[in-house]
Amino acid sequence: MAARRSRLELIYDILFSVQNKGGKIKPTHLMYKSNLSHKLLNQYLEELLQKELVVVEEEFSKKKQKSTRTVVITEKGLGFLAEFRRMREFTDAFGL
Amino acid sequence: MFRLFFTPEWFNGWDIVFNVVSLLIAFLIAGYSWRIYRINKDTKYAYFSLAFILVFVGLIFKSFTSGVLYFFPVREVVADVLRPVAGQSLQLSELFYRGAFFIQMMAMLSAWLLIFFISQKSRARLKRFYEVSQIGLFIYLVLLISIVSNFQYSVFYLTSTVLLGLIVLNYYKNYLNSQNKNTKRIMYAFMLILTGNVFFVFVSFFQSFYVVGELFILIGFLLLLYTYNSVKRR
Repeated sequence: MAARRSRLELIYDILFSVQNKGGKIKPTHLMYKSNLSHKLLNQYLEELLQKELVVVEEEFSKKKQKSTRTVVITEKGLGFLAEFRRMREFTDAFGL
Repeated sequence: MFRLFFTPEWFNGWDIVFNVVSLLIAFLIAGYSWRIYRINKDTKYAYFSLAFILVFVGLIFKSFTSGVLYFFPVREVVADVLRPVAGQSLQLSELFYRGAFFIQMMAMLSAWLLIFFISQKSRARLKRFYEVSQIGLFIYLVLLISIVSNFQYSVFYLTSTVLLGLIVLNYYKNYLNSQNKNTKRIMYAFMLILTGNVFFVFVSFFQSFYVVGELFILIGFLLLLYTYNSVKRR
């Protein structure tokens, strides 16, 4: 059984999912990609918005004739992803 | 020049340069580990940072004592300052051996021990290595108690050698599990530091061993720096 993800790992997974989708993703897709419940994802999104790691944009869909919300990763969010990868590399290298 | 240890005269001063380079590398690693601790509050990073700070402190004391011993004016100033406390029969060699060298030994041994404990992970796949390292440590402690009264100077390097050997073993296990290039480099870095310490153990037989030992340790720390840089560049 895989170990429980830490808070930082969850944040990394959310941001990584957004980055993997070209920097913007719909909240429902994000929920599946990051393997989180709706409640947990909302809690974490709230935190990410406060820390300006992501922004939520409203987009008008011509096909559906209504506006949809998309989560967009910010420069700060991309910076966090890079720093987290460095931290993980350091951890692996030094066997921590 | 004043000579206390088995240092070749031509090398006096160069070892200080080597130590300063190593202590700066130790400080960099400690700083980054502390930064990670500040982000994720995981205590193992704080301990790892402390371990490298101890390496830093140990090397500072080593450089300081060597500096005072090698350079006559500095030695005289230190002697003048300490004479009222130590009395007229001040023996610099005694003072340094009991004072600064003791702090250096304590700091370095604590650092290696901490790194050994932090890098120690029980993995079912490699249980045999875990047991071997525990038995090895136990046998060493028994041997140490037996011989400690006969040796003084080399016991420190002998203890460092054993601890570094166990650290290398842990990093070898780590490399087998991760197959990571950087983990391999860290293993080689500690292996070089270990080799340096092995040379120090036998420094009383050949003076040139001191130079070889210092060189190995410097290359080990430079490899740590190279790995640290490749991690940071990502």
